Amino acid sequence: MKQGFRQSMAWLHTWVGLLTSWLLLMIFMAGTASYYRQEISRWMRPELTTAPVSQEVAATNAVNYLQANAADAEYWHIQLPDARNPTITMYWFNPAPKDGQADGRASRRARFGEATLDAASGTPIQARQTRGGEFFYRLHFDLHYIPVLWARYIVGFCAMFMLVAIISGVITHKKIFKDFFTFRPRKGQRSWLDFHNVSAVMALPYHLMITYTGIVTLMLMYLPWGIKAAYPGEEDKFYVESLGGLSEPRPASGTSAPMQEVAALMESARRQWNGAEVATLRMDHPNDAAASLALTQRDGKALSIATPTLRLDAVNGQLLERGGQAGGATATRDVLMGLHLAHFADAGLRLLFFVSGLLGCLMVASGCVLWAIKERAKHARSGRVGFGLRLVDALNIGAVAGLPIAFAAYFWANRLLPLDTLERPQAEINLFFAGWGLATLVGLLHPRRQSWAWLLYLGAAMFVLLPVLNALTTRAHLGVSLPAGDWVLAGVDLFALAFGLCLGCCGWRMQRWQPAVSAADKRRRQAAAVDGAPPTQVARDGGVA
Amino acid sequence: MMLLSLALAFSGFTALCLAMDKHQLEPSGTARAAGGSTRRIGWVGWTLLAAAFAAAVLACGWAVGAVLWLGAMTLGGIVITYGLLPYRPRWIKPLAYALPIAAGVLWLVEVG
Repeated sequence: MKQGFRQSMAWLHTWVGLLTSWLLLMIFMAGTASYYRQEISRWMRPELTTAPVSQEVAATNAVNYLQANAADAEYWHIQLPDARNPTITMYWFNPAPKDGQADGRASRRARFGEATLDAASGTPIQARQTRGGEFFYRLHFDLHYIPVLWARYIVGFCAMFMLVAIISGVITHKKIFKDFFTFRPRKGQRSWLDFHNVSAVMALPYHLMITYTGIVTLMLMYLPWGIKAAYPGEEDKFYVESLGGLSEPRPASGTSAPMQEVAALMESARRQWNGAEVATLRMDHPNDAAASLALTQRDGKALSIATPTLRLDAVNGQLLERGGQAGGATATRDVLMGLHLAHFADAGLRLLFFVSGLLGCLMVASGCVLWAIKERAKHARSGRVGFGLRLVDALNIGAVAGLPIAFAAYFWANRLLPLDTLERPQAEINLFFAGWGLATLVGLLHPRRQSWAWLLYLGAAMFVLLPVLNALTTRAHLGVSLPAGDWVLAGVDLFALAFGLCLGCCGWRMQRWQPAVSAADKRRRQAAAVDGAPPTQVARDGGVA
Repeated sequence: MMLLSLALAFSGFTALCLAMDKHQLEPSGTARAAGGSTRRIGWVGWTLLAAAFAAAVLACGWAVGAVLWLGAMTLGGIVITYGLLPYRPRWIKPLAYALPIAAGVLWLVEVG
């Protein structure tokens, strides 16, 4: 068996792409939505008000709440509000119970407390319980229902396959420059190949970047052995030394002492930083004589995620430590991670990232549909549809037509589930997976073009009607948000409307589609019409072509 | 400035597209240009893409500007390829002239 380089790359591209495409599509969609996770979180908590408040007031409110509710915690972690997130989010780690229970992982987890406060009033927010956009962010690399460690290995595996698929795809694509602007609609398989190529080539720098940097974000988990060899038994030290973070905080002294006002501590940090803003605070051993406050600067306009950190003595305000200067390797990693997370992107650039992410979704979706179309042509020649093709058709229907339904179901659940539902955030998430699962079930039971069309219509209806549902159930609808110029809330509604219309168009095209008839087929049909025999079965049903 | 970068990327890709033999007839339907003329259009395209890079760097600095430039080319490219070329070919040339001018005027209004 002798094959050319390009043929073997085409084989690699086909199979590597197909095997991971359904999960990759979900990862891509969740990641793309995560560019707007703060905005989605706000939309999903329509009760929140956004009164701008200074960082000092917010931090003082946070500390007052923690003093009242977690004064003896081992540490507090406070995320201050910013332009995109109007709330204070915080968590803390309670001291070990006095009865000396074993320090297992479960009991450690039980010691964490968390709260989300209204920045202006300093009281817990009065909003519905939801994971909001955080769910998509976590889904993107932690999946759901399965242990996080497994999930990250699975996602890393998919990302590695994706990288292989991109590189082999570029090699396979013979006329990458000649076909640069080529998209010929209404030409069956040709159109799907054009569409797949354009979605890949136009955003190729993005696809390469996002896949590669995605692997980099978890590289220390995927390849831990270097660290294990160089820092046997004390891997924490590696993170402090090489990632330029702060060292372990000093231990508690056991005697209590009053702490300085947090606003004063922030002011002295800002003097060190030439006026830069504070993003997060971490107080170790609050109310102890050895209490210390670690501050992280808000990441600004730089690509790198590395932000300066400081640790102050919380009792006398002295500077204890500055975050170390990162070396070249760490600085490179920080830039790569920064590119993946895109915290530096302002509204316009964020939109471009979002568009590129959508192109990634289209690339994956059109790729797995294209596989089924090519395969169908072979099956049509032999006259029957094999099991493999039926399975791929079903999974394609479940992922490509079903995932939009899943996303829409999550938003619908947010508006329709009663506010006192037990474990409401999890109930919303269950409905996300129910939407995906049901669509896949429909695909398995009936892998036909009608399933494609009607599931796409269902997704379209759920997205188009989302602004209507929002208007019926909340006071944060377009009639309020547009006149107020609240582009966060209006943006989610308007995008849902536009996305729903696009899905509707896809469903319509799918329903009205007629198989292209080749000249040979035409002759055969004419001959068949004369003989009175019906045309071949496969050409009539089947998915898409 | 960011809009200017987007518009220049669109016009640059338009020029590069028109410099290709296979796409010459779609936007206007008139006769093919001579070889020398297509090469000139190609150079105009590369120059416009370079100008888009300059605008992106002026808008966001070297690092973020480079990212913006790539994103602008992606957007320009898909608007041409998915939208205008197959469905509204006659809009391409007028837009390629109008968008950078409009974006430039907007920028001048903002600065002045």
